[in-house]
Amino acid sequence: MKWLLFSLSLLLTTSALAQTDRYVFDTDEQAVRFEELTKELRCPKCQNQNIADSDAIVAKDLRERVVELVKEGNTKDEVIDYMIDRYGYFVHYDPPVTPATLVLWVLPVLIVIVGFGFIVIRQRKASVKQTWSNQDEVLLNKLIEKNKRQEQN
Amino acid sequence: MNRKLLAIAPLLVFAFVCVFLYQGLFANPREIQTGRIGHEMPAFTLPDLMQDNKQWTNEALKGEVYLLNVWGTWCPTCLAELGYLTKLREQGVKIIGLYYVQGYDADFDGPFDMQALRTEVQDMLERAGNPYQFNILDLHRTLSLDLGVSGAPETFLIDKNGTILLHHTGDINPRVWRSKFAPMMQELK
Amino acid sequence: MIPEIGYFSLTLAMVLSVLLCIFPLWGAHTGNLRLMRAAPSLAIGQFAFVLISFAALIYASLTDDFTVSYVAYHSSSTLPWYYKITSTWGGHEGAILLWLVMQAGWTAVVAARSKSLPWVLRARVLGVLGFLGVGFMMYTLLLSSPFERLLPYFPVEGRDLNPLLQDPGMIIHPPLLYMGYVGLSVAFSFAIAALLTGKLDNTWAKWSRPWTMTAWGFLSLGITIGSWWAYAELGWGGWWFWDPVENASLMPWLVATALLHSLSVTEKRGIFKSWTVLLAIAAFSLSLLGTFIVRSGIIVSVHAFATDPDRGLFILAFLGIVVGGGLALYALRVSQVHSEGRYKFVSREVALWLNNIFLVVATLIVLLGTLLPMVHKEMGLGSISIGEPFFNKMFAILLVPFAILMGIGPFLRWKQNKWAFLQNKIVVGILASVAITCVWLFSAYDEVTPLTLLATTLGVWVAVSTLIDIYTKAAVHGTLKEGLKRLGVSYWAMVLGHIGMAFVIAGVALTSAYSVERDVSMKQGDIVQLNQYNYRFEGVKTIRGPNYSGHAGVVTVLKNDDVVTRLYAEKRKYDIGMQFMTEAAIDAGFTRDLYLALGEQLSQGAWSLRIYHKPFVRWLWIGGVLISLAGFMILFDKRYRTSAKTARKAAAESVL
Repeated sequence: MKWLLFSLSLLLTTSALAQTDRYVFDTDEQAVRFEELTKELRCPKCQNQNIADSDAIVAKDLRERVVELVKEGNTKDEVIDYMIDRYGYFVHYDPPVTPATLVLWVLPVLIVIVGFGFIVIRQRKASVKQTWSNQDEVLLNKLIEKNKRQEQN
Repeated sequence: MNRKLLAIAPLLVFAFVCVFLYQGLFANPREIQTGRIGHEMPAFTLPDLMQDNKQWTNEALKGEVYLLNVWGTWCPTCLAELGYLTKLREQGVKIIGLYYVQGYDADFDGPFDMQALRTEVQDMLERAGNPYQFNILDLHRTLSLDLGVSGAPETFLIDKNGTILLHHTGDINPRVWRSKFAPMMQELK
Repeated sequence: MIPEIGYFSLTLAMVLSVLLCIFPLWGAHTGNLRLMRAAPSLAIGQFAFVLISFAALIYASLTDDFTVSYVAYHSSSTLPWYYKITSTWGGHEGAILLWLVMQAGWTAVVAARSKSLPWVLRARVLGVLGFLGVGFMMYTLLLSSPFERLLPYFPVEGRDLNPLLQDPGMIIHPPLLYMGYVGLSVAFSFAIAALLTGKLDNTWAKWSRPWTMTAWGFLSLGITIGSWWAYAELGWGGWWFWDPVENASLMPWLVATALLHSLSVTEKRGIFKSWTVLLAIAAFSLSLLGTFIVRSGIIVSVHAFATDPDRGLFILAFLGIVVGGGLALYALRVSQVHSEGRYKFVSREVALWLNNIFLVVATLIVLLGTLLPMVHKEMGLGSISIGEPFFNKMFAILLVPFAILMGIGPFLRWKQNKWAFLQNKIVVGILASVAITCVWLFSAYDEVTPLTLLATTLGVWVAVSTLIDIYTKAAVHGTLKEGLKRLGVSYWAMVLGHIGMAFVIAGVALTSAYSVERDVSMKQGDIVQLNQYNYRFEGVKTIRGPNYSGHAGVVTVLKNDDVVTRLYAEKRKYDIGMQFMTEAAIDAGFTRDLYLALGEQLSQGAWSLRIYHKPFVRWLWIGGVLISLAGFMILFDKRYRTSAKTARKAAAESVL
């Protein structure tokens, strides 16, 4: 979302146009922070929507509180903690890292390692050196000849 | 041997998942709780709904165990639970109402019509029963946000030190009272 | 009368389905050819009766028969005829009937096009498909009938189809998705049949492949259309929300992609057999799991159907029997499967193995993310939410090795590779990709973050490496033109699929990084600028549609004072049910979409509007369509089509 910095700075230089925005911030960084926060905070009453997309009253209230908090200079984490204090972990779309949720990150990594290890071990077992005899050479040449003749036909 | 274990692993994992899927059928995924359990009521200053020039603060509410019931006349489920809540009041349970104003837009609607709201509330409480000692008006839903409220009806159980002990979303009925609130109320005695 | 015929027809279909399940499987078990031979006609008969049932429901909708409860709840006389037909699958009961049509349909097609299979295998495949049909039909007939009547007090007008669903997307998205979900049951049936017969060889993989690829093609298309539809319809410019219902479609797709690649290895090299079978079982299991999740009420989603626990229980029991049975059979029989393969580490075999690992891990991430909140809450640990931030982060990390591998994979030969040959291609590819991406991004944008650069480079790399591969493979045979002609259908399918993926990766990277939005209030005549476009609000006019009224915000889009287009962003109020819906206005383009949504009316005649500039968002769906086409291309592959003569010969020769 860092592009927003660029385009907003472009907009702010074109005077009166910026005043029509619904939410106006003091710095571009705050605007970006607001946008990121409203996408990451969940509407407590909706059927799985973030507070940016929802028309519910509680979502609107949360959006406006986020605007206030961002304008006061809070960091993204501070705003998220503020909301979690009130609505619990449910309100943040990124789960907390606790012993119970650790599996979310540990299990995928484990599977990659195990899968990788599996193929390495299997491949080691499977790459047996083969011996190549004169008979094999003769047979091979015969097959090549046969194949060439088939192609020409 | 190793192979046999690997082969049966998917089946075991599936069985494990099924247990939770089965449980999930009887749970309500939309029920969430406030993050303020175990904390004190947040600081606030809000007007009384019915009386002019009367303010309530969190300090003023301390001293007794009470239920804080979030409601509104726009909410059909709230209307449905008024009867049972009134019965609880008659049994000695102290209930304070937090009126959750919905749909008022300062830009659009002009100044807030307090009189109209009071009449509406009075009418409803006369018809369905009045469980409330008094009502606190949360016009801009600020206290509601600080409490982690997302709609109505919601009810909090608060002890005499102002600590929030329980949060229930949905209506209060005999089943909910028996299973959730009654044990805690018993403990507080 | 007609709805009753519909119900009765379904009952007949169920009888045939039960016979289809019992006769062939018993016949295969005891070697009774007559019983086995009954399968194809039973399958076709079953399909005919299901079709009649479906036609009955459509008839009830088209004739506004509101004595039928389902029609009363999901349709209305104000709907245009095409949405009346669509309303047939707009609600739960009707959607299950659509699923049944697909199930019976696929079974019938398999019955008709499997003449070259030996009878034992053919009977078992159809038998398993029959069993699946029985399950769904029992569910429909006992718990979820769309033919219930509302007599004697029926409404004079229906409740109307949800306005969100009154859209062309609803006409094609569910049927395509269901074709995919149900199609995967064919791969499942082949796997079960092979396990029952005890013969898991190259030929099993060869037979399975066209069915799997076609199903996968439908599923890919269904998901692509779903994403496009959400974007066009919901008014927020988003195209993927990691909603549980979306995840329910992504999981079978990921596993089916792994299955496709694994089938090719088993077909060509005779290895990875046990994994391919497991993937085949898993793909359809995830389809069923998805159906359960969406219809049982265990998760919260805008897409979820309204349900009750009885239905959830039935589906869970069915899920348990089918998946549990499949996995139990797997546990019992897989030890009989032996794969003997010799290959070095730098080989296509290993690359495809890693490909499968990554896809399985991706599936696992989605599965964990979707189900953990439910498990977490049930264990009494409270509510958590898992959404975009988590999934995006994990997929972004996973994408890096996956995309790199995707580019290198086609370069690799089976068994072993000479590093020297590989090295040139890889180095050239990397350099070219980095160069192209850098020139492109740094000239077009002022700010390029490392993440955007990496992600876009990966997309370009997949495309570049595919082109390099085409060139090297074609250049071997004399002239380039001649070489291109020699490359088989299967190869071009791979090319399409990978290029499609390149579009998706690059599109996601660019649209995520450079999408711009403004949320403004405008009065008539106001101009707002976003990037190089100016948006002039011309005011709002009232509109009237066949079953709605409302307002359309008219906006003229200008670039350097030239009119680019005029956008009409609507806010509709549907006559029945009084529901509001925004209909966003989109100016679509290959390099960018301009997206406009009308908000609320504000004081003093102003309206709120949301304006979005979304670069390269079309690439997502272009990529998705290319990927789907890759799946369908197998229908043109002569190697999988046997002439009627060969089929008859094979049938005559088949030993029981």
